[in-house]
Amino acid sequence: MIDADERAQMQETVRGALAAAVAASGEPAAADAALAKLGWLELLRDEPDDAIAIVFGALGATNAAATALDDVLLAALGREPRADLAVVLPRFGTWELPGTDRGAEGLATARAATAETLLVVGGTAPEPWIGSARRKDAELRAVHGIDPAAGLHTVRLGGAPDVERLDAAIWRSTVARGRRAVAHQILGASRTMLGLARTHALERIQFGRPIARFQAVRHRLADALVAVEALDAALGAARDEPSPDTAALAKAVAGRTAHTVARHCQQVLAGIGFTTEHAFHPFLRRTLALEGLFGSADAIVLDVGRRLLATRQVPTLIEL
Amino acid sequence: MSSPPEPVTDLAHYRAALHAWLDAHHEELALRSEPPGTLDDRIAQMQHAKRVLFEAGWMQLGWPERVGGRGGSPMLRTELGAALAARDLADPGLFSLVEVLAPTLIDFAPPALAAEVVPRLLSGAELWCQGFSEPDAGSDLASLRCRAAPRGASTWVINGQKVWTSLAQYSDRCVLLTRTGPPESRHRGITAFFVDMDTPGISVRPIEMINGEQEFCEVFFDDVVVPADRILGEVDRGWAVAMSILPYERSSCFWQRVAYLYRRLQRLVDAAPDGGRTAEVVGEAYVQLFALRARSRATQHRLADTGTLGAETSIDKVLVATADQTLYDAVRRVLPEGIALDDGAAAEAWRREYLYSRAATIYGGTLEVQRNIIARRLLELGSDE
Repeated sequence: MIDADERAQMQETVRGALAAAVAASGEPAAADAALAKLGWLELLRDEPDDAIAIVFGALGATNAAATALDDVLLAALGREPRADLAVVLPRFGTWELPGTDRGAEGLATARAATAETLLVVGGTAPEPWIGSARRKDAELRAVHGIDPAAGLHTVRLGGAPDVERLDAAIWRSTVARGRRAVAHQILGASRTMLGLARTHALERIQFGRPIARFQAVRHRLADALVAVEALDAALGAARDEPSPDTAALAKAVAGRTAHTVARHCQQVLAGIGFTTEHAFHPFLRRTLALEGLFGSADAIVLDVGRRLLATRQVPTLIEL
Repeated sequence: MSSPPEPVTDLAHYRAALHAWLDAHHEELALRSEPPGTLDDRIAQMQHAKRVLFEAGWMQLGWPERVGGRGGSPMLRTELGAALAARDLADPGLFSLVEVLAPTLIDFAPPALAAEVVPRLLSGAELWCQGFSEPDAGSDLASLRCRAAPRGASTWVINGQKVWTSLAQYSDRCVLLTRTGPPESRHRGITAFFVDMDTPGISVRPIEMINGEQEFCEVFFDDVVVPADRILGEVDRGWAVAMSILPYERSSCFWQRVAYLYRRLQRLVDAAPDGGRTAEVVGEAYVQLFALRARSRATQHRLADTGTLGAETSIDKVLVATADQTLYDAVRRVLPEGIALDDGAAAEAWRREYLYSRAATIYGGTLEVQRNIIARRLLELGSDE
């Protein structure tokens, strides 16, 4: 366990290195190289919770597009993280297993474009399997969409790979890890969006005063901070009481937070926030892309709601 | 398990022992079965539960020995309040007055007075109220005008009016804020008193709320004579007394409220018909409750670690108020006819609570005031003038 001072210092270091990488090149490879230099894989192995919180928080805060999500998932699946091995992610908005007996269909990070091997998890949640496919056998397409810089790809595999049984609990905890990583990234991006809007409100003069003096503006930013801190707390709880349920709820909170923060901040930024000349838009784009990884907030809300009704039980999940 | 454990720091162990004891003594603790009854019923239920728990030694845990407590971390009482809320054994809106008012006496009353009266509050022998708000001093508490003036060397005379004083008509005592400085002295000229409600000159007029209950009152003070040894803290320093309440209200009381809201969502899920948009509606409330519970938990731990809380608890207040209304909005959406038409006892309870929940963004500092605090103190947006 890393102490609070050490963690704050690491956050600064990682954020600085990623910001420099983004400034030099928007390519995922630059961010990956910066993380490798900082000892990301060693930290992930030794202190996975801190590693995920620090690195994904910084990825969100700087809008860097590293492929560290593959490392998190590979480690959770019990594989050695490698640059030439990428994981096929569930389709956008869902957490259904991407592999079927006819092949696989899903998403991937930019790592898939250069990897030799794709790792596929398929079957059903109670009886999952895991298999490897050669990347050159897959149909891979770079996604432009709302966030071309995110490096996302769609993956389609025509035939079923050679597979072996995977413990269902391992897949559940892999999804949980992925959700927490993505939610931390959304938290970082949300904090940056709020920071940009706050700076604008203090600097922008209208009616002879900074717009930060207007209560309507202040209240929007206050609500954005409430949403950010709620997500921060949800992720803290998901870390202290790790389970598929707490991770799912934290991911749902992340989706709601990103929406709230983006809505208020874009309104405060007003005209300039609707241009590509201001730094806001890449963060909005990134949160909209991340919303679809391992289940959207809407999909998770519906799923937990159905389970509450099916079991007629409302578990509190976290205690003092 | 027949008696509470010695004060422990291991919360998980304490919680397990507490729930085992509450399970074993449910019949003794509960005066009635669900649904929760009227305000009279709920007060009787709470005072009964406090008596039973005091006799068994649970109520004293987490309170200092100099006021008859048994010591241990204040988190022990947080757990107890939450456990009672989760079992509908004590309405946290009522029970939290203990958490708000006993620390005031412990920190600011003459030690002998605190030692005499705090056990009476804990044991359910008495109820106390909090006389803060006035007709012209709501969110702007520092503008209060209820006047206290010295008469002779050892008494003070109080004249004025309070309003929204919860449970005044049931109360034996009142923690009262008065103006002792010049009219414009704001937070610098306020003095706190501990007043017996049967003192001549005090009259109480209950106000009917939108849900038909009479929880709060107008309280009038007409030449009410109070001994000087009933001053809490120092003369003109009553603002510190008022502010000292905040950390308790925003930590322990909120955690109890969260437990209550989970209990309510459980009741809704028990009663909810399948189909329609029910799953989405209850799922959304559950997600919000999770974020609130996570935040409140972090706040409890920060208080235990650092001993203080500040402006950041305005975030907790916004979250608890919003989640409360989201939950009761969910009740209305899932059981619309229950809220609007049904005259059965269960629907009556839902309707009462639904209407009460509309005040969640008003009492204890409006949402607007919280946002002002967040903007100025946390976001450092500077003055709004």
